[in-house]
Amino acid sequence: MRRCLIALLFAGSAFTLAGCAHHSTSTTLYERLGGETSIDGVVENFLYRIADDADMVGFFANTNIDYFAASLASKLCDVSDGPCRYEGPPMDRAHQNMGLTDVHFNRLVEHLDAAMQEEGIGLRARNELLGRLAPMYSEVIRLQ
Amino acid sequence: MTLRRTVLPNMPSSSSLTKGLLRHGVVACIAISLALAATPTLAGSRILGTGGVSAIEGAAGGGLSPWAMLSSTASEQEVGVTASATRAWVDDYRLTVSGASVNIYDRVEVSVARQTLDLDTLGGELEQDIYGAKIRLLGDVLYHPWGIWSVGIQHKRLVDGTTPTALGADETRGTDAYLSASKLLFSAFAGRNVLLNASLRNTDANQGGLLGFGGDQGNRAWVAEGSVGVFVTPQWVIGTEYRQKPDNLSVAREDDWQSLYSAYFFNKHLSLTGAWLDLGDIAGLPSQRGGYLSLQAAF
Repeated sequence: MRRCLIALLFAGSAFTLAGCAHHSTSTTLYERLGGETSIDGVVENFLYRIADDADMVGFFANTNIDYFAASLASKLCDVSDGPCRYEGPPMDRAHQNMGLTDVHFNRLVEHLDAAMQEEGIGLRARNELLGRLAPMYSEVIRLQ
Repeated sequence: MTLRRTVLPNMPSSSSLTKGLLRHGVVACIAISLALAATPTLAGSRILGTGGVSAIEGAAGGGLSPWAMLSSTASEQEVGVTASATRAWVDDYRLTVSGASVNIYDRVEVSVARQTLDLDTLGGELEQDIYGAKIRLLGDVLYHPWGIWSVGIQHKRLVDGTTPTALGADETRGTDAYLSASKLLFSAFAGRNVLLNASLRNTDANQGGLLGFGGDQGNRAWVAEGSVGVFVTPQWVIGTEYRQKPDNLSVAREDDWQSLYSAYFFNKHLSLTGAWLDLGDIAGLPSQRGGYLSLQAAF
């Protein structure tokens, strides 16, 4: 009987957790990330990390960095329900034939999270943004 | 051996844990040498914590149960190696596990583990070796909408089957097969990421194999295992595991296992797991509860 109760508790907590996933707060993620100033700061921090990463910097050799920075900022703003619409190329076309692997994708995730952390963004907002970006993996990797 | 000097002295029963580690130091040394030889960048590129810790049967998992993720943080084109030392203390028994695993390209995980169960109350000890393989079928614990799915086998051989056979076990070796799925839900609980895992295992192992395989009350069966963990921080996960078990021996009633665990990832190379265990009845002695500590090194 006790074991049955524990099993029920276990199942119950799983459902409660799933329920929490759908709970939404009234402010947008964009606001909780700190808005435009904060996102621009994250993008800049992120780009410095890439510039310092010998394995990654090569991918940006022929990139217009100002254009890329603006494009990434508008993507992050759009994805976090901010007042922007990303109008750059779709993710699969933007990354096609670059020879990207899971290694590179993971590295970008680490750099982005570190950049957000250093710019003072809290764990909840970081997790939420990473959760919204994670599904882009399939698009980014699709045309390699 | 730097690990031993810097970390172990702070832990309870460090000498016995160290003994367990040293007993299979050869495995650890091979593992570490392989790590140095095989990986140019030492740390894999997968995100911290996505390799889980070492389960007691050697595979990457949460402690009691294997998870779908492969060990270490090796990704595509990378090879990862882990070595672990584990000790569990319950009322009448003490389990020591030394394990090692290799992750090849985040596709195949091969593992070995030696389990020693000291029968503190009954006297004597039971030992078994476990050879495991796990293959990632599809997905990724972070990025894929369905999470990660893997299948695995664990071939178990008792070193001396006299006691299990006397208790009514049919065999002294056996093979488990399992299907496992894991998925991380971002910001799912109080802004924290939640890790879900479910496994289905086909097994005839009594008490994981330490009491032999099959018996007078049954043989192979499907059992379910599951866990929920919350990443309080990106480095620290707490959670609970449940492992259903067969009950094949009429003279040694067997219960399901459960745990509350806390795993801390110091970095991609070192994790420490502590847990509270409730293993139920084991070999006629009731209600076995206690603690668990496991140290894993990964390269």
